[in-house]
Amino acid sequence: MALQCRLSGATFQSLKLATIPISSSSSRFIFRTLPKTLNLALFSRHSAPKAPPFSVLIRNLSAPAVAAAPAAETSDIKVVKPQWNAAIDFKWIRDNKEAVAVNIKNRNSNANLELVLQLYDKMLNLQKEVERLRGERNNVANKMKGKLEPSERQKLIEEGKNLKEALTTLEEDLVKLRDELQIEAQCIPNLTHPDVPIGWEDSSKLRNMVGSPRKFDFPIKDHLQIGKELDLFDFDAAAEVSGSKFYYLKNEAVMLEMALVNWTLTEVMKRGFTPLTTPEIVRSSVVEKCGFQPRGENTQVYSIEDSDQCLIGTAEIPVGGIHMDSIVAESALPLKYVAFSHCFRTEAGAAGTATRGLYRVHQFSKVEMFILCRQEESDMYHEELIKIEEDLFSSLGLHFKILDMATGDLGAPAYRKFDVEAWMPGLERYGEISSASNCTDYQSRRLGIRYRPSESPSTTSKKGKTNLAATKFVHTLNATACAIPRMLVCLLENFQQEDGSVIIPHPLRPFMGGVEAIYPKSR
Amino acid sequence: MKGKLEPAERQKLIEEGKNLKEALTTLEEDLVKLRDELQIEAQCIPNLTHPDVPIGWEDSSKLRNMVGSPRKFDFPVKDHLQLGKELDLFDFDAAAEVSGSKFYYLKNEAVMLEMALVNWTLTEVMKRGFTPLTTPEIVRSSVVEKCGFQPRGENTQVYSIEDSDQCLIGTAEIPVGGIHMDSIVAESALPLKYVAFSHCFRTEAGAAGTATRGLYRVHQFSKVEMFILCRQEESDMYHEELIKIEEDLFSSLGLHFKILDMATGDLGAPAYRKFDVEAWMPGLERYGEISSASNCTDYQSRRLGIRYRPSESPSTTSKKGKTNVAATKIVHTLNATACAVPRMLVCLLENFQQEDGSVSIPHPLRPFTGGVEAIYPKSR
Repeated sequence: MALQCRLSGATFQSLKLATIPISSSSSRFIFRTLPKTLNLALFSRHSAPKAPPFSVLIRNLSAPAVAAAPAAETSDIKVVKPQWNAAIDFKWIRDNKEAVAVNIKNRNSNANLELVLQLYDKMLNLQKEVERLRGERNNVANKMKGKLEPSERQKLIEEGKNLKEALTTLEEDLVKLRDELQIEAQCIPNLTHPDVPIGWEDSSKLRNMVGSPRKFDFPIKDHLQIGKELDLFDFDAAAEVSGSKFYYLKNEAVMLEMALVNWTLTEVMKRGFTPLTTPEIVRSSVVEKCGFQPRGENTQVYSIEDSDQCLIGTAEIPVGGIHMDSIVAESALPLKYVAFSHCFRTEAGAAGTATRGLYRVHQFSKVEMFILCRQEESDMYHEELIKIEEDLFSSLGLHFKILDMATGDLGAPAYRKFDVEAWMPGLERYGEISSASNCTDYQSRRLGIRYRPSESPSTTSKKGKTNLAATKFVHTLNATACAIPRMLVCLLENFQQEDGSVIIPHPLRPFMGGVEAIYPKSR
Repeated sequence: MKGKLEPAERQKLIEEGKNLKEALTTLEEDLVKLRDELQIEAQCIPNLTHPDVPIGWEDSSKLRNMVGSPRKFDFPVKDHLQLGKELDLFDFDAAAEVSGSKFYYLKNEAVMLEMALVNWTLTEVMKRGFTPLTTPEIVRSSVVEKCGFQPRGENTQVYSIEDSDQCLIGTAEIPVGGIHMDSIVAESALPLKYVAFSHCFRTEAGAAGTATRGLYRVHQFSKVEMFILCRQEESDMYHEELIKIEEDLFSSLGLHFKILDMATGDLGAPAYRKFDVEAWMPGLERYGEISSASNCTDYQSRRLGIRYRPSESPSTTSKKGKTNVAATKIVHTLNATACAVPRMLVCLLENFQQEDGSVSIPHPLRPFTGGVEAIYPKSR
């Protein structure tokens, strides 16, 4: 029985994300390989390779973080114990299997719903059997308390022993079954908002367009040429020191990055978000719980040698982890964070001209918004986040469109995803500069983040205890407020002047000591 | 063997030639191995030492200068961890779950304070003619070694990336040192003065004890670093310039600190001379290092391969019509911390705490915090 959480098969041309097959680690559940905040080259998997059989996956495991349970000889499949469990509502899946099946198909996920349902049934039956045997064993134990003939006692002892052995075997099987069910079920992608268009990238719907492409009356340059002439970056030295897709920012580009970060943080803080800086090294389990796959083939995630730690690809991960395994008071919601961090991505599998210069790099600065809220409010906060992005990018004078991404482009965690693509005249196309996702309870079920509704306590029971309301899972949302390199591409290419200078948008000037433009330097 | 020979003579020579060739191959292999071994051993030899450097260990370090004096408090002083907790400025507990110990989130005003520190420091150092940079934080391990660090030693300070020859930088000194590696710069281009902002990552393997509480010793932090490449004759002068800049920066912020000329036992292999700045941290009740300025002379540049061509007027042309080009020289490199954010936060919080629990923000930083003058306890 092979673990099959295959690619949602996006085409090579679309620079979007897709889930990728489980490769070397069975306990690393399949999630999309990269966050929605940036457009990434897809791994060209028109026909996704079949994931290796489960037993092979076990052999390939090398990650020290996986706690391998002792292999049970009774089963032909060695189940490795998951390092952590998402709180999946199996009963709900069973009761809504048609809707779940349609959703899996629309997202082109290869989650195996049939298998999940089978395993769930098997598990329920096994549970009943285990309980039955336990009942019988208790009966035997009770009988043995009374006065008995020696032969009677002997029979009971035998019976008790047999029951105990049978029970042990069944209980081991139950554990393995639970683990297998968990692994399969965690492949099931999030549900989809009813308004999301069904299909691939071409099906994404235009929500809104702001501005229009600027008309140039002189030959325009791309950001790389502008950067070279204004001495703003150095890719060559970085290629020697670090490798391709690394860079130094120089001179005004440094001040521009700081101004962008500063201004963005300030603007988002005004809207009630708590500013944060975050660790950029995190435990790989946290990466997985957010819906990424650190150790898959073609992973976007850098891992640290001799450790279970990784570099973050987005601040969404360490921020999501802040409240993991905890219960927040309903009155604390919504929790709104705006986090600044450096981000690191391997960009494995990315190739082509769309990766020149700053468009696709291994390391960059990013300001990320993250919201935890009550379930009923996530749609509303999704609208709020995209509105903030629209305000930010309009203030800078950019021309952009906002897309409601189609089901094939969502990636497993997102219930709904809006992408912002800005006009980049030097590249002569729109490029993704931002993404806002509503992940509903997908991440929170994995991170274990709940809230306790604040109902008035019911009348005290006989024992004097008040009844506490049952906890619910929060909904989480994330949205890019500013991804520096692509913002630099936009600013340089859109605001270039005929004399070779680049105008700085007004909102940023106070954050750059009043500098109004970047001028060519006399040589 | 080119001449006319008797067959017997020729045969003897062929034999002799063959023997010589075999002996030569063996010797040449030995020579390569010997050169490698020599190189490895010789690279262990530390840099020379400035004649004024005191000989000995930490206790032998000499006080160069002291600026200011410890503030007298007329109320009980809190350490930065307690201030941070009361003012909701950082979270170590969540970070311990997400990442491990010695990681942290900065929150609220601490975020603005970090940005203000970085911004202000960059601006001040740029005024003195330094070119601002941001750098890669992942570099090839060979570059780390050429700067004088040891990525894969036991108890190394360096994080390595799995399945690659790359590491995380512990300081921007490394990627900046690498900019001009394996190249010859024109003498007229010198000095090259860079001020680089980066995040830094350190394993802190082997570090333990109370001096590692809170922000004092962490795995990841922001730092603004100054780096100079210059002609050999000028490195002492630029070392003085760097320590003077540091002195100006820290005085402007109102800190009380001492500058030490570090003794030979504390220099580390690359440094010819090293000045450390230790600032008074009232919550820790001791001085703590907030900065270091090193003159590495040619130790790093010999490894990084950075030379310059002195611009002498060409001598009279030789018979073949060529002008003589001056022989290249190795540059000298220097590096100095302009601002290491976490320890700076410790200093600011502990030194400028007020009795009402607030913390005053030093005046130079206020334009960079949007005019915010203090961090106040939040009403709960």
